[in-house]
Amino acid sequence: MTPERWAEIEELFHRVAESDPASRNALLDNACCDDPALRKEVEALLARDGGVAAAAVEASVREELQNLLFPLTGKTVSHYQILNGLGGGGMGLVYRAQDIKLARRVALKFLPEESAKDPDVLRRFEREARSASALEHPNICPIYEFGEHEGQPFIVMPLLEGQTVEQFIHAQGAPKGPQQVQKVIDLASQVLKGLKAAHEHGIIHRDIKPGNIFLTADGQSKILDFGVAKLTHAEIEEDHLGHERAETATTVKSIDLTVSRTGAVFGTAAYMSPEQVRGERVDARTDIFSFGLVLYEMATGKRAFGGNTWPVLQEAVLRATPKPVRGLNPEIPARLETIISKALEKDRAARYQTASEMLADLEDLQRQLAPKHLPRAWALRLGIAAAIFIAAFIVVLAKKPKTVSVVPEIKLRQLTINSSENPVIGGAISPDGKYLAYSDTRGLHIKLLDTGETRTVPKPEALKDQSVKWEVGFWFPDSTRFLTTLHLATEEWGEWSSVNGSIWAASVLDGAPTKLRDHAVVAGVSPDGSLVSFGTNKGKLGEREIWLMGPNGEQARKLYEVKEDSAMCCLGWSSDGKRYWYVLTNASSDTMLSRDANGGAPITLLPSSEMKEIKDIVWLHDGRMVYAVAESGKGDACNYWTMRLNLATGKHLEEPRRLTNWPNFCVSSGSVTSDDKRLVYSLSSSGFHTSYVADLEAGGTRLRNTRHFTLEDSDDVGLGWTGDGKVLVVQDRGDGWSLYKQSLDSDTPEPIASLAHGGTLLSGATSPDGKWYIARVWPAGESAEHFGIPLQILRIPLAGGAPETILQLSRHGNVSCARPPSKTCVIAEQSEERKQMIVSILDPIKGPGPELTRFDFDRELAVLEVPTCVISPDGARLAIARSPESPIEIHSLHGQLMHKIPSQSVGELLMLVWSVDQKGLFVTRKAQNGNELLHLDFQGNVTSLRRCIGGETCFGFPSPDGRHLAIGDRNQSNNMWMMESF
Amino acid sequence: MPATHNVTELLAQWANGDEQALDDLTPIVYKELRQLAAAYLRKEQQGHTLQPTALVHEAYLRLVDQKQPNFQNRSHFFGVAARLMRQILVDHARRRNAAKRAAVSVPLESVVSFEKERSGDLLALDSGLNVLEKLDPRKCKAVELRYFVGLSMEEIAQALAVSEVTVRRDLRMAEAWLQNQIEGG
Repeated sequence: MTPERWAEIEELFHRVAESDPASRNALLDNACCDDPALRKEVEALLARDGGVAAAAVEASVREELQNLLFPLTGKTVSHYQILNGLGGGGMGLVYRAQDIKLARRVALKFLPEESAKDPDVLRRFEREARSASALEHPNICPIYEFGEHEGQPFIVMPLLEGQTVEQFIHAQGAPKGPQQVQKVIDLASQVLKGLKAAHEHGIIHRDIKPGNIFLTADGQSKILDFGVAKLTHAEIEEDHLGHERAETATTVKSIDLTVSRTGAVFGTAAYMSPEQVRGERVDARTDIFSFGLVLYEMATGKRAFGGNTWPVLQEAVLRATPKPVRGLNPEIPARLETIISKALEKDRAARYQTASEMLADLEDLQRQLAPKHLPRAWALRLGIAAAIFIAAFIVVLAKKPKTVSVVPEIKLRQLTINSSENPVIGGAISPDGKYLAYSDTRGLHIKLLDTGETRTVPKPEALKDQSVKWEVGFWFPDSTRFLTTLHLATEEWGEWSSVNGSIWAASVLDGAPTKLRDHAVVAGVSPDGSLVSFGTNKGKLGEREIWLMGPNGEQARKLYEVKEDSAMCCLGWSSDGKRYWYVLTNASSDTMLSRDANGGAPITLLPSSEMKEIKDIVWLHDGRMVYAVAESGKGDACNYWTMRLNLATGKHLEEPRRLTNWPNFCVSSGSVTSDDKRLVYSLSSSGFHTSYVADLEAGGTRLRNTRHFTLEDSDDVGLGWTGDGKVLVVQDRGDGWSLYKQSLDSDTPEPIASLAHGGTLLSGATSPDGKWYIARVWPAGESAEHFGIPLQILRIPLAGGAPETILQLSRHGNVSCARPPSKTCVIAEQSEERKQMIVSILDPIKGPGPELTRFDFDRELAVLEVPTCVISPDGARLAIARSPESPIEIHSLHGQLMHKIPSQSVGELLMLVWSVDQKGLFVTRKAQNGNELLHLDFQGNVTSLRRCIGGETCFGFPSPDGRHLAIGDRNQSNNMWMMESF
Repeated sequence: MPATHNVTELLAQWANGDEQALDDLTPIVYKELRQLAAAYLRKEQQGHTLQPTALVHEAYLRLVDQKQPNFQNRSHFFGVAARLMRQILVDHARRRNAAKRAAVSVPLESVVSFEKERSGDLLALDSGLNVLEKLDPRKCKAVELRYFVGLSMEEIAQALAVSEVTVRRDLRMAEAWLQNQIEGG
């Protein structure tokens, strides 16, 4: 384009763009009457005028900058999905991440690489940080985990909301007015409480500074990075003179490095104590000095010691007296100035000797500053008035729609560790918080939560020969007894009812449960423990009658009855026992109602429109309701929400607020302690493809010790083994896949290969030399109708590297390989007219080799049908199933029939895998509720190994040594969890 | 010679038509921008989104002698910085793409298509700017100053020694034109 032309276009563009839209056409007609190309150019520009280009470009610039600075964004590190960069700590990058294993948000903080070099230092740090975390002190931020990523150590911490003291000081400056002063004192007392707890356990922080103290959004101070300082400075641990002198040089050197790298003195060096500067042994009083400097800065908004270079700063720490606090901020009480000065004594012996001494002085000051004490009677009356005032205030607040909800750091604890083979059915925490009663397929258990000690409740004599399931109901308020409903083991959760159900009472003391009533399901226990509600007389939709009885089953009487086409459930009481609530079900909907215990009309608490998604309701004693809501569009996921309802009027006092946000999990069976502090619930994964590993025993006919193998809560499946005994796991992301290998003794998968838009990886075989995994890939974007055209056969280098295509199949087929010393792999594919399976040699490098044999079929195979045809481990035989119902045949490589397995008993067959000893096959059989994994020997003996939970994924691959089986199945684990500070 | 003197002088030389001065200036500013980006992280900017504007302004304060603030120097400096920010980010986007592509073997590429990413936008913008620079260098400069440094209209007008109205018109035209290029309109 010539400059003249460009100018012409620009001139016209502006003229038209700045004109009245109505006259644009005329303008263009006029200007371009003899130049249609010009008109086209200008119109193209006008079409884009005022577009969103600016915002999109700005966003991509910002994003690239973030990517540049936070290179791990979007990656997965161990079992953490990195979401975005949060900033840089004094030492390394901090990321926000999702813990995939525990489904919670965390912060990952990377530590300098140098710190990983000395394993001794790393171990010491880890030990110390662990012991600080173990204190579980509210003012100490725990470290969840230690990890390493490509040689760089990182720590995993809770994701805190709020700011560091450094940011706080920066934002607020020196406190103004008594309220701000009191806040500073309060925050300082909290820090000292944390320090006190740590020091009492012999743990010293060594690096107290404004950047290491966090103020959470709900007003808590938390000390960060306990133990971390050990990694960054050479420290003197021994009180040994010779050793000390040697270490002194190191300390100063390492400080010098910090200084020169950044050109200014950062954090650490500026908050050092004189003894640290001198390179002497540190103790608890070192932390007190450093915290004195922090407090000085909080009080004045200024650093106690100025100086931007190390020599100046060093001199100041050792000898200078900071400017008086009150000189800088006259609003600071004289007493606080004295406290700070005492913490900043150069001589340790003159300082506060312990954190609790300093804390005591601060608390004294707090009391002094608090309003003067009133005579007792007055205080009492005022207290009542205040309570009324607060109640009114809460109502006023509650009326405001709450749009932002911040859940202060919820604390989670897993209470049971049942495998998916033995899922927890449900459970309930005792009102005093001491016990968890829970049940699984093996029985009814009571766990002492303090010690973790678990006792299985003995089965009553009368049930000795029966197979039963316990459903834990409710505790009595004295925390010694609880009610359960007993169901037949053959009934699934959805089928439970009073028809075969009976109510039993169990005790934390020894002894078996005792039966209270037959043909009943427990519905609730009144707050005083004097009444039990239960449902009975099952109709079409559920129990039609609600009855009440005494705590031992006495004086049963009917309370409600609804029509045949309705049902009632879950009758519970308000915490004062004056009202009860229940759920009424009819053909189309559920409604939650409440009613005065002495009669009166029912009030609708939640109409059917709101009840639709609600799955689990727990009433807290403070009147709040915690309930589970299904996540729309996220499979079976459901999460807890909370709201406050007036039980007497149905009025919503507080808008719903989300408590949890866990994808792929559903909560149920909730119960709460009488202080409302602990909520216990069962957490079930909503089912995804996953991998298990089991030990093979008894010639491959028995599985022992089946354990969940992969950590991800996404679809990943064990597809086979590497030659050296690692499980190959493929993770399917819907539009792409990644292949990993993972040792049996590790919980970290090692990536092998990954394709972003690589379609779906189907099972294949590990080449006999162990170098490749030969996989089949169903290309992306193909629907099932067109499936198989073309099917890619890839070789994926197991040592890592790019996958390469060996060949494309235009019809469906499968791949199998023998084991060393044989070198043979075969590919079996449908013939063109789909009436034969053609078996040929396949070389991972050279591609397809000579044809071995063809198997005839008396019918046309379906496009998707691949009669499994697999080579034996010794490379001499082929096993083939001509149809899902026909017996499995064993042939020589050239198609000579050697043996037919009498396997009519197997039923419809889906998949074959040779056992390592070649005496049998691992077979998947189609079954009604999910498939079944079997061992089939050559005589036709069938042993069931595993009933798979669901879907087509159900298969087992034996390890090269024949000792383990990698199993693909769905995961549906279910365990009890506890939530605190929700 | 301290960096500030050096940069101040180089900017002055460049303003007087010495092209070599620009070649000498570039690596200094480039290094400073990268170092500043890293330093930003050390300063615990928790929760703050890093803006290129902040980086470039800080680089200017650090590199150019503030005792003799000079309008022209400032404008020139931002011009160089904008170009360098563009280079740094585009290089990084390109490297990320290359790393991704390396994970796939050549034969497969024919059947595997990649997700279009943000980095793609940036690279498309970059090649659009290369064409625009030949057609109309001032518009290219205006876009760089706007997007890679985040200057205000007023600051861009100062840097390009034109009126604010002209800057607005330049950007309006350039944005429409670039959008067309990027989306292959």
